[in-house]
Amino acid sequence: MSALLLAAEPTNFWEWLHESSTRTITGPIPHNLWLTLWHALAAGAIAVVLTVPVAVFLAHHRKAELAASWIVNLGRIIPTVTILAFAVVISLRNGLGFAPYPILFALTLLAIPPIFANTYTAVRQASPDAVSSARAMGLTERQIMTGVELPLALPLILTGVRTALTQLVATEALGALFGGGGLGIYVRFGFAGDDIYQIQAGALLVAAAAMGTDLVLAVVARLVVPKGVRARPGRRRAATVTVRAPDVASAAGAG
Amino acid sequence: MTAPALASGTRSPGTRRWVAYGVLAVAILAFAAWAWSRVHGLSEDTQATNPIIRWEWLFTRERTPDELWTRTKQHLELTVVPVVLGTAIAAVLSAIALRFRWTVGPITTFAGFLYTIPSLALFGVLVTYNSNWTAAVIALTSYTLLILVRNMVAGIDGVPQAAIDAADGLGMGRVQRFFKVELPLALPVILTGIRVATVTTIGLVGISAVIQLGGVAYFIFDGYRREFTTEVVVGSGLAVLLAVGLDLLLRLVERLATPWSRRAGLR
Repeated sequence: MSALLLAAEPTNFWEWLHESSTRTITGPIPHNLWLTLWHALAAGAIAVVLTVPVAVFLAHHRKAELAASWIVNLGRIIPTVTILAFAVVISLRNGLGFAPYPILFALTLLAIPPIFANTYTAVRQASPDAVSSARAMGLTERQIMTGVELPLALPLILTGVRTALTQLVATEALGALFGGGGLGIYVRFGFAGDDIYQIQAGALLVAAAAMGTDLVLAVVARLVVPKGVRARPGRRRAATVTVRAPDVASAAGAG
Repeated sequence: MTAPALASGTRSPGTRRWVAYGVLAVAILAFAAWAWSRVHGLSEDTQATNPIIRWEWLFTRERTPDELWTRTKQHLELTVVPVVLGTAIAAVLSAIALRFRWTVGPITTFAGFLYTIPSLALFGVLVTYNSNWTAAVIALTSYTLLILVRNMVAGIDGVPQAAIDAADGLGMGRVQRFFKVELPLALPVILTGIRVATVTTIGLVGISAVIQLGGVAYFIFDGYRREFTTEVVVGSGLAVLLAVGLDLLLRLVERLATPWSRRAGLR
C-alpha cells in the first residue's frame, strides 16, 4: 500500500489529475463526472415535468400567488444538507441503499423552487395584450396557455431550469459526503486523507462541472428560444422581476 | 385580470376555494403519513432496536445542552459575520455601480460568478490557504454579495423620480438627498436583500461541516456517520428553526424600520 502511494505521490493538484493510480478507491474521473451529470439531469427532468405544468396552470388562473413566493422561501429555509441527510436516512432505513434513489429524491426537491418561481413569474408577466387578443381570436384557455403564454414565458423558464441544474450539479457533489458517488467523492476522500491536492483537484472538478453546465445551458437556451420572444437583457427582467419582487425571482446558485 | 370566464365551473368561487383547500390538506396529510411510516422503517423490529429519536440523548445526557449551545452559537457567528461583512462590501460595490453606471453589468456578473461556485469547491480550495474559520467566512461572505448588491441597486433605482425632483426642489444637496430621501425609500428592498442573504447563509453554513465547522449541521454529519438518527433529526430541526427564527426577526425589523411602506400606494 505505502509502496504504491510512494511511487506516485503527487506534489501538486495538476500531477494528481494526471496520476490515475491515485484514484483506485474513488473511481476514475469520467465515471464520477457521468454519475454527477446523470443524477442532476434526471432530477432536473423530473422536476420540470412535475413543476412547469402546475406553475403555468396556476399562473394562468392567477391562483396561489402567495404560494409562489412561499415555495421559494421554503426552499431557502430548509438547508440542502437537511434534505440530503433525511433522504439518505429514510432510504437506508427502508433498505433502498445510498444511490441513486435518495440523491435523486433530494435533488428533485431542490430543483422545484427555482423552476416553479421562474415559471410562475414568467407566465404572470406574459403580455396581457397578447393574451387578450388570443382570447378574442377564439383560442381556448388551454390553447392560450400552451400556444401564447408558454412561448412568451420560455426565456425566463429556461433561466430557471439553468439555475436549478447548475445548483443540482453543485449539490450532487455534496451527496458524496453522504456515501454517494459523483465528483464530490474526491473532496471527501481528500479531507479524509488530509490530501490537499486531491481536495483542490476535486473542488476544481466540481466547479468546472457546475460552470460547464451553466454555460452549456446558456447556449441551449439561446438556440431553443425563438427570436421574437428573446428577453432583451436588462430591460424587462431588471425592471419587473428584481425591483417589484426581489423575493421571488432571485437566482439559485451556491449549492 | 380576473379568472377567465371560460374556465370557471358551475360552482361558486367560495365553494371552489374550500374544495381546493380540502384537497390540499388531504394531500399534505397523506404525504405526511406516508413519510412518517417510511421514516420509522418497515417493521416494528427496526423501531424497537433502532428508534428514530432517542429522547434520553436530548434530555438526560449531560453534555447535550452544552454541545447544542456551542454549535448554535457557532452557526449564528458564521451567519452574522459574513452577512455584516457582505453588507459592507456590497454597499461599496453598489455605490460604485450607482455612481458609474457602466460598472453595473461587470459588478453583478462578478457577484453572479461567485454565487455559482459550488460551496463544497470553494471551502475545499480556500481551506488549503487559510484557517478553517477564515475560509468559511470568506466563502460565505462571497455568497451574500449577489443578493445584496442586486437589491441595493434595485432599491435605489426604484426611488420614484418625483421624490428626487421634490428633494431637489427643496434645495437638498446630494448627500442630504441620499440620506433623507433615497435611502429611506430604498430601505424595504435593501432590508429584504439582507433577510434573504441571511437565510441563505444559514443554509450554507451547514456545508462548512467539511472543514470541521458546520454549526448545528455538525450534528447532521456526526449522526449520519455514527448511524445515530437522533442527532440528524435534532441538527436538521435546529437548522430550520434558526432559519425561520431569523427570517421572522428580520421581517419584524423590516416592518418597524419602514412603517410607511405598510400604507397603501407607497412602495
